[in-house]
Amino acid sequence: MNEKPEVTDEQLIADFQAGDDRAFVELVDRYKDRLVNFVYRFLHDMTDAEDMVQETFLKVYKNKHAYREIAKFSTWIYTIAGNLARSELRKRKRRKTYTMSELSFDDNEFTPVDSGRDTEDIVFNSYAGEEIMKAIYALPEPFKTIIILRDIQELSYEDISTILDIPMGTVKSRVNRARLKLQETLSYLKE
Amino acid sequence: MQNTDCTNIREQYTEYQENTLPPEIRAKVDTHLASCSSCNEIFRELNRVIRTLHNLPSLQASAHFTSSLLTRIETDKQLGTWQKIYHSSYTKVAGYAIAAGLIVAIGINILIDPISPLQPNGRSDFAGEQSSQIQTEESLAVVTDSASNVSADTLTQQNIPINPQNQSMQLVSGKK
Repeated sequence: MNEKPEVTDEQLIADFQAGDDRAFVELVDRYKDRLVNFVYRFLHDMTDAEDMVQETFLKVYKNKHAYREIAKFSTWIYTIAGNLARSELRKRKRRKTYTMSELSFDDNEFTPVDSGRDTEDIVFNSYAGEEIMKAIYALPEPFKTIIILRDIQELSYEDISTILDIPMGTVKSRVNRARLKLQETLSYLKE
Repeated sequence: MQNTDCTNIREQYTEYQENTLPPEIRAKVDTHLASCSSCNEIFRELNRVIRTLHNLPSLQASAHFTSSLLTRIETDKQLGTWQKIYHSSYTKVAGYAIAAGLIVAIGINILIDPISPLQPNGRSDFAGEQSSQIQTEESLAVVTDSASNVSADTLTQQNIPINPQNQSMQLVSGKK
């Protein structure tokens, strides 16, 4: 039985550019969770993350004609969301300098969707996840972004290269350095 | 303290983990890991960190996300229309034209009648007009009451030009 091929993101944005607002809503449905996950890792506040993702879609809506099909839609929207999230982080840093002890994470904001894993695994991941989130938050900016894109969003090196506008080789070496830095930070947190 | 070898080996971690190292370099890393417990421990720790990152619980946007986004877009559109009107060059030109017109009108008014707006009793403001009107009405009452005492001839003899404004003034002062 032949399944109807799914409309690509690029086709949807083309339809939206041609005036079909339903295509925009479809793109929102496809990307809202992914982007909330992405932005939340920067801001650690669900309300702020949703607000920032809405801002991202608003920019897409207002600047729909800025998109050209030379890039994937996903890299374009991740670029917008990433820029907004980093800009918000810079604003926060200007307002207040956080210390590690000041970081707090609301457990209620971690809502597991996949319930297929066994309890021990979930407990392990929840505990380690919280520690890791603190460590990611403490990473210097270029490392933070690259860890989120590669190890949480699991994007390809090619996509990351496009989003950050840096060569693929730089992406790979930066991913390695970021991972080492993260591991080092985690060791520090454990002590 | 880690030596240069350890630093070089750790720099290869990601490619080692993704199995993209050339075979001869991979063999070197394997040899090093077999003899260096510190690097071995770090590689295992990194594997654990990455596994945990991949398995972080997924977050979901709230149920009202899309509807509130669409409301926000509508609000932004309406706001945008007013902003466009406010910032449009046509609006600015119209504003400047109105301002210029007002300045010219005031200028012409001053040129035609330069004195009257400056005269203390010839105030052109509404309050002034009202008070002078009240005075005129009082004066007329005086004229009616004392018509037998003050005649138009007297006024003419005093060589005072008769017009509604200074008539009232004169009569008020006559009452005093």
